[in-house]
Amino acid sequence: MTRFDAIVIGGGINGLTAAAVLARRGKSVCVLDQAETLGGMAAPGPDGAPRGAHLLYNLSPAVRRDIGLGNRDWPFRSAPLPSVALSPDGRHVVLRGGEATNGDSSAHPDADAYRALHGRLAKYGALLRQLAENAPPGFDGKLASRSALRQMMRLGWFGLGLKRLGRDEMRNFLRVLLSNAYDTILDEMPDGPMAGLLAADAVRGAAAGPRAPGTVFSLIYRMGHGGEVTLPMGGMSALCSAFADAARNAGCQIETGVTVTRVLIEAGAACGVETADGRQITAPLVLTSTGAEVTCHLAGPQHFDIEATRRMRNVRARGTAAKVNLRLSSLPAVIGLSRDLMAARLIAAPSATYVERAFNPSKYREMSPNPVIEAVIPSVTDPGLTSGDSHYLSAIVQYAPCDLEGGWTETAKRALAKATIDTLATYMPDLPGQITASEVLTPVDIEAQTGAPGGHWHHAEMSLDQLLTLRPANGLGRYALGPAGLYLCGASAHPGGDIMGLAGRNAALAALASEGRK
Amino acid sequence: MTENTKYDAIIAGAGHNGLTTAAYLARAGLRVLVVEKNDWIGGAAVSRSLHEGWTYSNCSYVCSLLRREIVRDLDLPKFGLQVIPYEGGASFTKSGDYFAYYSDHDALRREMARHSPRDADAYARYSQAIMRQCRFIRPFLLRDAPDPTSLRPRDLNELAYLVKKAHGLGSRELGETLRFWTMSIGDLLDEHFENDLIKAHLAGSGIIGTGLGVYSPGTAYVLLHHYMGDLDGGIGAWGFARGGMGAITAAMGAAFEHFGGTIRTGSGVEEFIVENGRVIGVALENGDTFHAPVVASNMDVKRTFLKHVPRAKLPGDFATAVERFKIRGSSAKLNIALDRMPDMPAAPPHASFLRGDMHVSESLMELERAYDDWKDGRWSAKPYIDMLIPSQIDPTMAPSGSHMMTVFVQYAPYDLEVNGTRSGANWDDAQRAAMAEVVIDRIAIACPDIRERIVHKEVRSPADIEREVGLTEGNIFQGELTFDQLLFNRPVPGFSQYESPIKGLYLVGSSAHPGGGVMGAPGANAARAILRRETRDNRMKGYAA
Amino acid sequence: MSVFTDPALGLIDGPFQPRLAEQSRAKAWYGWAGYIAPAVLDSVEFEYFALRNQASLFDISPMHKYRIAGPDALAAINRLITRDATKIEVGRVAYCVWCDEEGMVIDDGTLFRLDDTDWRLCCQEPMLTWLLDATWGFDATVTDESDTVAGLALQGPTAFSILDAAGLDVADLKPFDLREVEPGLMISRTGFTGDLGYEIWMDRDAALPVWDRLWEAGALWGLRAIGYEALNIARIEAGYLAAGVDFQPIHATERLHRGKTPFELGLGWLVNFDKGHFNGRRALLAARDAPRTLLLKVDVEGFKPATGALVYHAKRREVGHITSGLWSPTAKRNIALAHVKASHARQRPGNLWAEVYTSQEGQWSTRMARLIPLKTPFFAPPRARATPPGRI
Repeated sequence: MTRFDAIVIGGGINGLTAAAVLARRGKSVCVLDQAETLGGMAAPGPDGAPRGAHLLYNLSPAVRRDIGLGNRDWPFRSAPLPSVALSPDGRHVVLRGGEATNGDSSAHPDADAYRALHGRLAKYGALLRQLAENAPPGFDGKLASRSALRQMMRLGWFGLGLKRLGRDEMRNFLRVLLSNAYDTILDEMPDGPMAGLLAADAVRGAAAGPRAPGTVFSLIYRMGHGGEVTLPMGGMSALCSAFADAARNAGCQIETGVTVTRVLIEAGAACGVETADGRQITAPLVLTSTGAEVTCHLAGPQHFDIEATRRMRNVRARGTAAKVNLRLSSLPAVIGLSRDLMAARLIAAPSATYVERAFNPSKYREMSPNPVIEAVIPSVTDPGLTSGDSHYLSAIVQYAPCDLEGGWTETAKRALAKATIDTLATYMPDLPGQITASEVLTPVDIEAQTGAPGGHWHHAEMSLDQLLTLRPANGLGRYALGPAGLYLCGASAHPGGDIMGLAGRNAALAALASEGRK
Repeated sequence: MTENTKYDAIIAGAGHNGLTTAAYLARAGLRVLVVEKNDWIGGAAVSRSLHEGWTYSNCSYVCSLLRREIVRDLDLPKFGLQVIPYEGGASFTKSGDYFAYYSDHDALRREMARHSPRDADAYARYSQAIMRQCRFIRPFLLRDAPDPTSLRPRDLNELAYLVKKAHGLGSRELGETLRFWTMSIGDLLDEHFENDLIKAHLAGSGIIGTGLGVYSPGTAYVLLHHYMGDLDGGIGAWGFARGGMGAITAAMGAAFEHFGGTIRTGSGVEEFIVENGRVIGVALENGDTFHAPVVASNMDVKRTFLKHVPRAKLPGDFATAVERFKIRGSSAKLNIALDRMPDMPAAPPHASFLRGDMHVSESLMELERAYDDWKDGRWSAKPYIDMLIPSQIDPTMAPSGSHMMTVFVQYAPYDLEVNGTRSGANWDDAQRAAMAEVVIDRIAIACPDIRERIVHKEVRSPADIEREVGLTEGNIFQGELTFDQLLFNRPVPGFSQYESPIKGLYLVGSSAHPGGGVMGAPGANAARAILRRETRDNRMKGYAA
Repeated sequence: MSVFTDPALGLIDGPFQPRLAEQSRAKAWYGWAGYIAPAVLDSVEFEYFALRNQASLFDISPMHKYRIAGPDALAAINRLITRDATKIEVGRVAYCVWCDEEGMVIDDGTLFRLDDTDWRLCCQEPMLTWLLDATWGFDATVTDESDTVAGLALQGPTAFSILDAAGLDVADLKPFDLREVEPGLMISRTGFTGDLGYEIWMDRDAALPVWDRLWEAGALWGLRAIGYEALNIARIEAGYLAAGVDFQPIHATERLHRGKTPFELGLGWLVNFDKGHFNGRRALLAARDAPRTLLLKVDVEGFKPATGALVYHAKRREVGHITSGLWSPTAKRNIALAHVKASHARQRPGNLWAEVYTSQEGQWSTRMARLIPLKTPFFAPPRARATPPGRI
């Protein structure tokens, strides 16, 4: 069959979600992915090591419900991980939810400040989640139209949630939301590993340092679902399988290893795609989980307004996070950290200032000599992932800009691996001797493998000027890309990425709603 | 207590905003006293003669933002204010070239085309976009910032006005407005232009006075803030006050006295006297005490509440919020007396742009690196400089044939790092001299003979500006212009309408909405709030009402 | 104080300035896109009558000219303009408008199809970045020819005879035809006067010899050089729009609601919804049947020009304003172009009035003048379209 009701380009988490939502509403859906493995940036490599994301914290229950995975649990188990802010002097900070202790479980002097900040951000996060679960507000309709009324209702709910915070918290929310992570954190605690961890979390995947106004938003965004960090048991493939199964069970046809070479538009409406193997697949709905600009090229710019193409190419998607995977002969030890905490999410960002300094070179298309690292050794929690004593360490390394001066040559990649290993070795001195193999995935590699624009974590920078109705760009903020039936369902659409699935779900719902209006 | 220590209102600080408030109140019939710690008035809008024969606008140095409603209400021209627009500007390069900015549209297009034909064309659309944003914002400058958490009719009314204005833009333009308010000047310029030098020239207004870099989100708004002014209707035009910036405050002071007000210089406020949650007067450093039911502070919010109100008299969360208000020193100043016009070999002789603002930054990246230095507590190795020679236009500034040069320097930290410690106290003569050398090297890019021309120079670090003018950290805006500190968040959420938790104590300086620059809007808005709240049937009259 | 001089300031000379300067007795110059241009050379009246009775030469070099070329040029242009560009054949010129995404007119102009993949767009507003935006993603290049290509408008009943006398064969050139008559010399039968006329295009460096050639040939045919004021009378008589006067180009507009759709300018005939997507199509589909205002050609009662007058319904309710108005020496009518609220323009066109201010020896007074909307141009002589053209 080459006729479907809908085609979804890209079988990442958002693409699969969009497909499942559509299929469960009775649409025949075809998912096409250029890679052999489904999951996009969540997909693991052939050896099972994560090639993009390696932890979960923002999976949306709304998505689970809407793709038919029930109301209770995901079909895979995920283990909550504590976070450890590594300190070069061995006085690490362990964070579990809102609780902070020293590495030796003794009380941390800033535990109260941390608890208060964490609590407040989580409260704000829950509020933002309301916005994330709907299409962003638009201002196109007349004030009296039905869609406008629905929007007013939604904003009313949001306003009500805001009101429920109480007046002081509401004021604080409206201030902090627009603020920068650096000041917001350091208003509460002295600079150090704890502040460094929060600062690093605020800018993970971003082309921004913690001093950039708007970075608190990213921190709050992480807290949209409580902020608990979990590791999927069975690796990222368990997660990807769950989404793929949901789509298949809903009746989607999924093809991997198929590259879409053209999006077909006729009479101002999407009508299908053409694939590299020369097939034409037709459908009145085409959802794309790659970027808007790429889609524009696939469809042909003549089908878009000139302003829209201008805005598409001005979308900022400068990936700065690289992935470094290390195969280890044995489990490394962190000085001053107990062995069971080696399962934790380890953050090498000894201060917020350190994070800001790491960011500086990336502005000039250089990599950080002293990078910010989020490392996890999944095989500690999930021994089935490796055999014997061996382990692997999965690290997200910032900043490694996609547009590195001179390009990402093998030499440059080796330099990045060395900077990563050297940085980790300040905490794990034995690490270099334990490495049996290493793999470096730069943003350029990530873009090539997944189609994520710029290899960016969120496909488009999560800065205030690219959020909500402005995401990925002004006039393109409500999933519709221009030609009728063509929708953006990837992380560059509202609300963004993070293995959340909401962009895909919202896009599918927008497509269905617009079809209902026809 | 004698009769002449009692007033209807006392204003602490004779800066342009304090004098604006004072003049409006006096004009409304109140008995008003202005107290000023320095022996002169003006705050950061002063003309000072620090070298025989030369007059320095030694803090603020050019004029555009001063609201014409205020000028007209207070009849400032009658009291001697004369503002003369200047014509353009230029950015010089080390290679001996320059980019000149002409106010003449066609000349500007040709000059831009010399560097990039595409950018010459892009500029028309860019400037139109900026003008649209300025048009949108300007009506809000002389209005109160609505508190979105309040259900008071006034706030709802102001909020409705905002919604109506925003809705009137149409959805795409509203989106553009939201982008303008949140994006960086660097990204904005990259979207429009390709030429590094042109971008660097246009970027300056996005960072002047802030602790942000050209690629920090929010700097596009800072640029708008500098473009919101109008000289005789020419939006975005800048000019010189004849006689230096002190001419503005001198005219305001004269207007105030004309309306019956009293100014006492030479002793500042030691303490705002608070009894039962209400301000009742001020105690001065010299021991004098004056009483009034209304006291307005022209000082910034930190200085006002953390230095001059006993901590015990403030609600704890308010004090915390004030502590967290960000006022960062980021700029320094050189004022230079020149024996004659310096050579500018790159420019054609007598070029008009030499009478405008001159710079030597060549790319956005160079500007961004200048910001990185500042973050780490150093002055920029290659600072952005905004230099002007007003004596070419204003004959009162220097002896005939000689000239006065004002050089604004971005970035210079307040808390200079020396041997691992960061403190304003680290600014000593040696540090000042070392920074001045860096700045003079920068000037020499445009004027190679600058060292031979210098007769006298005044170097003002952020710490010096704080010490003399009283601005915390020497920040020219009395608080960062980031979006978490604008509108209803300025200076403290819930206290954005000039009032404070202490009844009768008002904030009238640039810490309040809509922020800094020699604009006078906070002062006028505060006067309106005071008259509305503190007097019966005594509403403000005039264009700023 | 210094001497205020600056080489970069001021207006610069166009390619024909030496000849125009010779002709200028009125010394009435103005700036057109940075070039010095004549408002009047001798007297408006005689220049105008030369245009309508003999022939006139007007320098159009300051117009913005862009070359759009490449395999995808047609596709890019078809997305840019509202007309169907596929119907413009090689050797033809088309009047067209282009809109922003909201359907508001950016500018109007003439589009020349020089070759299969080679086009020139000639317009009033600078358009380089817009055209670069419009060709992004297409295999097409944009070159700004504004300063390198010179143009002359030869307009009037004897225009053909002059070209003929100059040895330039354009007898079979129909209106909106275009031909390279000699290497480097291109002639199109186009103009801004509504009369018989041609536009002659050449490299800037070749400009003066062409002028001299026409001048010599025109000696016996009453050729005069003219300035903008005379031309402006002719273009209003022909009912042509001037950007910035009769409509506000949207990119040069601060108050965006002041933009106009083609439908509101009476240019709906230029919009083709059947050709596929073009810029602003979605917005124009919605705006097609709901114009806010309409541009009317009106006959104004009385003899006083009504430029700038407000338009009232029943002398009471303000419903529009006049953009261009004058006494037409040829039609012998008091004519004007007016923006009028669509409801009144359509349903109550019989009760429209203009409030005309008149000055008699410095004494200002106002009076209401009735407006009579017209369907056809004020002036459209058959000679403008005859092919082969008449000789006088």
